Amino acid sequence: MGLLSLSADPEGYGLWEQPAEKAGMLLSLRMLGQFGAVNAGVAFAWHRIALAAYVARQLRLPLNADAPLAATLVPTGHLGLARTSLARWLTGQPPSDEDSALLADWLNRREHDTVLYAPAAWESVLLPVWDQHTIAWRRVNRSDWQVTNCARAHGFDELAAFRLREPPASAAPIVSVPGDPRALFTRVLKMDMLGLMAIGGGALARAQTMATDYAAVRRQGGKLIAAHAAVQQLLTDIESARLRVDQALGSFGLALDEVDLGAVAASRIDVHKHLCHAANQAVQVHGGIGYMRDLGVEKILRDQNMLRLQAGGIHDARQFVAGWKGASA
Amino acid sequence: MNHPAHLQGHLPATHPLSPRHRYAQFPWAARMMSDYAASDLWETDTRRLPAALARIRRRARHFAEQHLRPLAAEADLAPHLPPGECSPSLQRLLAEAGRDGWLSYFLPAPLGSMPWRALRHAPVWQSSLVIEEFSRVCGGLSLLLSAHHLGVMPLLLSGNPRTVLKYVAPIYRRCRAGDPHLVAFAITEPGAGSDVEDGHGAESYRPGVVSTPVDGGYLLNGRKIFISGGDLAQSVTVFAALQGEGMASWTCFYVDCNAPGFKLVRTELKMGMRASGAAELEFSNVFVPHDRIIGGLRNGWAINRATLNTSRIPVSAMALGMARAATEAAVEFAQQYQLGGRPLIDAQDVQLLLADMVAETRSLRSLIWQEARHAWRPRQLHAALCKFHATDRAQRVCEMAMDLMADHGGLHEQRVEKIFRDIRLTRIFEGTNQINRLSLVEDWQTQLLDPDTHSMRPGVSV
Ligand SMILES: Cc1cc2nc3c(=O)[nH]c(=O)nc-3n(C[C@H](O)[C@H](O)[C@H](O)COP(=O)(O)OP(=O)(O)OC[C@H]3O[C@@H](n4cnc5c(N)ncnc54)[C@H](O)[C@@H]3O)c2cc1C
Ligand SMILES: Cc1cc2nc3c(=O)[nH]c(=O)nc-3n(C[C@H](O)[C@H](O)[C@H](O)COP(=O)(O)OP(=O)(O)OC[C@H]3O[C@@H](n4cnc5c(N)ncnc54)[C@H](O)[C@@H]3O)c2cc1C
Repeated sequence: MGLLSLSADPEGYGLWEQPAEKAGMLLSLRMLGQFGAVNAGVAFAWHRIALAAYVARQLRLPLNADAPLAATLVPTGHLGLARTSLARWLTGQPPSDEDSALLADWLNRREHDTVLYAPAAWESVLLPVWDQHTIAWRRVNRSDWQVTNCARAHGFDELAAFRLREPPASAAPIVSVPGDPRALFTRVLKMDMLGLMAIGGGALARAQTMATDYAAVRRQGGKLIAAHAAVQQLLTDIESARLRVDQALGSFGLALDEVDLGAVAASRIDVHKHLCHAANQAVQVHGGIGYMRDLGVEKILRDQNMLRLQAGGIHDARQFVAGWKGASA
Repeated sequence: MNHPAHLQGHLPATHPLSPRHRYAQFPWAARMMSDYAASDLWETDTRRLPAALARIRRRARHFAEQHLRPLAAEADLAPHLPPGECSPSLQRLLAEAGRDGWLSYFLPAPLGSMPWRALRHAPVWQSSLVIEEFSRVCGGLSLLLSAHHLGVMPLLLSGNPRTVLKYVAPIYRRCRAGDPHLVAFAITEPGAGSDVEDGHGAESYRPGVVSTPVDGGYLLNGRKIFISGGDLAQSVTVFAALQGEGMASWTCFYVDCNAPGFKLVRTELKMGMRASGAAELEFSNVFVPHDRIIGGLRNGWAINRATLNTSRIPVSAMALGMARAATEAAVEFAQQYQLGGRPLIDAQDVQLLLADMVAETRSLRSLIWQEARHAWRPRQLHAALCKFHATDRAQRVCEMAMDLMADHGGLHEQRVEKIFRDIRLTRIFEGTNQINRLSLVEDWQTQLLDPDTHSMRPGVSV
């Protein structure tokens, strides 16, 4: 047992090792919450590393024994969630020509850059690709693809940002999924989205403590600021956000296959808006000092923004949910 | 470049059901009510301005593109410099801005650089136009260039021609000569941020910066924090209480930063607005002669509040400029980014989002121009309303842009992540948005408490 799985042992009980069981799901989500409370950037990196290990196990790929923490994953295509097409395909609706073309393009890494936020020393990344009308995977070594280092990102200060591009002749072999590729991809998206929410929930808990503590010592307007309705409103917004996240995560704390991806995606839209709003309110409680990097609350806001932008972001998630419910383009 | 005839979901302009080009065939009288040229939105707004202001708007945009644009990313990414240091490129920018008149436009020639024909319009309007253009290109650089005006404002609001001639004229002269003398505005103290923006809070605050009378003037002691441009300023309008008295004794002192006892303690490492320093200033027995008391003893509180009334509309314009930048970045992304062989802008969901962003941005401009146009004597209620509303909404616009770009939006090169970090300040400084809401109410009290005396109708009108 370890926080992060470092072996191919199927009996392990680390992060994202046993999501098929309710206890394993709860363990993973709570762990990510705890990590997120300390540092959302690091939590995000570990989450994606654990997902990479999960997918590798499903694909029966050997883990990189020398540097298991250097293998990460990007669970989506180059932007968003492929409108309604991905959801339609995942739910087994017959894909139109347009759906197929869109999915092929969404997962086309040759003509589009894929954005990666990962520890600076990452060595390989697992990516979904479109292959023969289905989703397969590729493990790409850093040296095999064109990797552009980007300037500092909005948040996740502990990580670095990259653009990846598949070169015309790519060495990375395509690995098809033993079993049902739809099921695997659905699980990966669920774990990714739930993990992002859990990390955000942890970071929110930390922001809440900071804001509450500060409001209990800072005096303005002749009293502690916690005694002003304006500040009480800010603190209550944070509390409602926390309840929403807890409720959402609570309702998804089931064995992975009992969780509905459409519901996760729909809930993610709302949850991440609340997480960001709450982080904004936590900054606001602090006034000017909240804007300063020394304190750390502005970092929570930047990290919440970053979490919101991952897994396809929340704009396209609306189309995804529509597709999940059967809508076409 | 080959332009497509239409966006997906819309008819080409030549289609019989696309009405705009048919209006021209209407009879004259109908044409007068329907026919129009669909010009660029920025041009439309600029042409609606009085000619002198339109000229300022064009010049400001040009200056921002020429001189701010090349520095924006660099100034944001640069390492935090020791307090008081300024990169050579920012120094050059300040000199250029000074020479071009952007540091002296609150007075007309021969003292300042305001065009005479612009004198017919509220200076707050002019500065709002300029700041929108600057902050569209870079929030931090626009703050660098505009905090100076905040610093100078108490000198102008002293209403004393001798103060203006003696202090503002030489500041403006040096700015115009390309050797800028920058001024900062210092009200915030470690123990009072909101309490120096709000009378109710000030009432119970024990002042932290205190002046003691001595022969020929006063000695200042205490600390001011978060002072924008306090690191590069050569002088600061410092607000301090008289020894043994409360905030009602607040007096504005025009402090020379070379005076013994003045110390630049540190500059903050901030979330955004990184081109502008937020400085902590320490005063240890800093001597200020009588003739550097601005506006008279015990008039500081009112001068402070009047200064905030002139600056809060321009701060709204700062947020507007950034909302516009976010919208423009989103439009550019939507036009260039291809998904499924089509640009994003062909998708209806993207069109809806962009429509909201344009509407938000332009309604902020309408509000700001409406209030700025009449801001000869800027009313607290109007200024505070613009400030909290525009800054809150502008951040929302920026979030829409980030959402459109998903994980690409977190990359510095897409610009919107920086706009977010910059915009976030505008909801905190110049009074938090909570305090600005309360400022609105404070000013409105007269009507709320006794509506019938102040209105033709019974009840309060909004
Ligand atoms: C980058 C930056 C630049 C700045 N530039 C300048 C400058 O050039 N010159 C200058 O003098 N100052 C400057 N400031 C200071 C700025 O104006 C203050 O930070 C701001 O007014 C908030 O004050 P505070 O930080 O003390 O927060 P606080 O007043 O401590 O506020 C903390 C929280 O309490 C709430 N609160 C406080 N009092 C009340 C009340 N009475 N009723 C209800 N709610 C209340 C606030 O809304 C906030 O949510 C700058 C600040 C920053 C961050
Ligand atoms: C009280 C009232 C007074 C009215 N007065 C008048 C009047 O005086 N004269 C008159 O001529 N009409 C009048 N109307 C009609 C009114 O203008 C229409 O109801 C309105 O334009 C919507 O059309 P619809 O009801 O057919 O809805 P639909 O067009 O069926 O719309 C249903 C939903 O589909 C969406 N939708 C439809 N097409 C598209 C598309 N291409 N892309 C994306 N989304 C789409 C709509 O936004 C809406 O959400 C009135 C309606 C009401 C309720």
